[in-house]
Amino acid sequence: MKEIKLFLGPQHPGMHGNASVHMYVEGDIIKRSYLLPGMLHRGFEKSMERRTWMNNIALIPRICVPEPDTNEMVYAMNIEALAKIKVPERAHWIRMIILELARLSAHLMAFGGIGGPTGLYTAMYWAQADRDRILTIFEEITGHRVYHMYIVAGGVRKDLPKGIENKILDFLNDLESRLPEYEDLVLNNPTVRARTVDNILLPAEVVWELGVTGIGMRSATGQEYDIRKVAPYARYEKVDFKVPTATYSDAQTRMTLKYQEMYQSINIIKQAIDMMPGGKVRAKVADGSALRWRVPAGQVYSAVEASRGEYGYYTVSDGNTMPYRVAVRGASFPQGLLGVEKYMPGHRIDDAPLWFDTMGICSPEIDR
Amino acid sequence: MNKDIKNLVADIKSRFELVGEDYPKDDQAALDFNSRDIHSVLAYVKSQGFRQLSILSCVDWIKDNQFQLVYIVFNWETGIRLQVRTRIDRSNPKFTTVTSIYPGAKYYERDVHEFFGVEFEGNPDSYKQLFLENWDDMPPLRKDFDSKAYSDRKYPVREYAADFSKAGDKK
Repeated sequence: MKEIKLFLGPQHPGMHGNASVHMYVEGDIIKRSYLLPGMLHRGFEKSMERRTWMNNIALIPRICVPEPDTNEMVYAMNIEALAKIKVPERAHWIRMIILELARLSAHLMAFGGIGGPTGLYTAMYWAQADRDRILTIFEEITGHRVYHMYIVAGGVRKDLPKGIENKILDFLNDLESRLPEYEDLVLNNPTVRARTVDNILLPAEVVWELGVTGIGMRSATGQEYDIRKVAPYARYEKVDFKVPTATYSDAQTRMTLKYQEMYQSINIIKQAIDMMPGGKVRAKVADGSALRWRVPAGQVYSAVEASRGEYGYYTVSDGNTMPYRVAVRGASFPQGLLGVEKYMPGHRIDDAPLWFDTMGICSPEIDR
Repeated sequence: MNKDIKNLVADIKSRFELVGEDYPKDDQAALDFNSRDIHSVLAYVKSQGFRQLSILSCVDWIKDNQFQLVYIVFNWETGIRLQVRTRIDRSNPKFTTVTSIYPGAKYYERDVHEFFGVEFEGNPDSYKQLFLENWDDMPPLRKDFDSKAYSDRKYPVREYAADFSKAGDKK
């Protein structure tokens, strides 16, 4: 049979974000495939070198669209490490609430996103509707729905508004009571299972070879490889939560872990609201106007556990008012580029979007 | 500084020539090596549990006429992170690939090649373009690349008619 060239995306209902997969197919089977990134390359790393430390806070959330708060967190952690600032206790807990809400919203988007490649659009509508309620909570806390610019160096921009705790708890209780419906709709759905069970495998050796992190890694190795456990930041060492793992990683397993993690996020937020102390929420990074901060020279890397895996920034300061260099480690860089090249061939064309969805690929963070 | 890091750095010091060290965080060490040692160091730390290359990045120290390559490796068992760093000559930036040690470095090397112009010998695809389609200037993350001047040169300033909005209304 003749081999033909085929593009999946960037305009395709099953494609995640503005990337394209360049495939060579024979019949239904992908023979070779490459990711064509760069359609969302906005030159963030260069732009950051031309803006002050504070100015960049408006820029960085835009690197990853579904989960922008991780960007703010690692950026702030790096500045705090370089300037040796102690973040007020309350700010740590607020950050944790924000990050877990962000994880919930990103997980909902990705979990419902399985509706695209499988034709189960109901899941997508449900999940987006629930995600929208999280965005409403974000709007109340930060003033913004998608890009919050809330976690800043030294703490958070301002304290939580009065009474927001109850609104968050109401939402969480409601979501928790309806999560089993998601399980019935997606995980137990025979049409979805036919596509996902024993399909798109990710063995542990491949995890180590590529450097896959996050759910992909935990679903294959069976270990609690979660940065929140291995190298805790904020106050994750003080809350009690489980990290779901598995030892056999097919598409179904990875979706199931994502589903189980939503329960854990709900659990963490509830504990955080309960245990959160009062007090200040922001420490000063340096004296004077925030636009003229100088951050002591140094080179540091910080990472957090994003919904897709290890998300980190490498920040270099030469002691000036602007960063000397910031490098972004997108969580899905390894599987998105090398994984597509090496491990997507052999699958069927219709499994390529599923491959993308369950490997947790987010093209904005690959392109930067 | 945490005790595991102390032991690890002492161990590395006894095997390789350490050019510089820094401890930006409790669980992180930044170690500088001569460029000839990098492959042995990476192979050694990988055998010591640093199984993941988180990122390979580059910093342009234009005043010293040097590029700094930074390999950030992570140990998932202990939570310790290492920055393995080296400096190479900026005027003829060449280095050998580490894909035989960390296969995941393949695309990071392409990334560094595209944005800094460092050539990675032994990485067959390292010269291919990745993010920047039809790029025709110097690698853009170099410090002497001025993005404002580039955009002024590349995209002419557009003149808008003063009554642009009104003209649009007429059909």
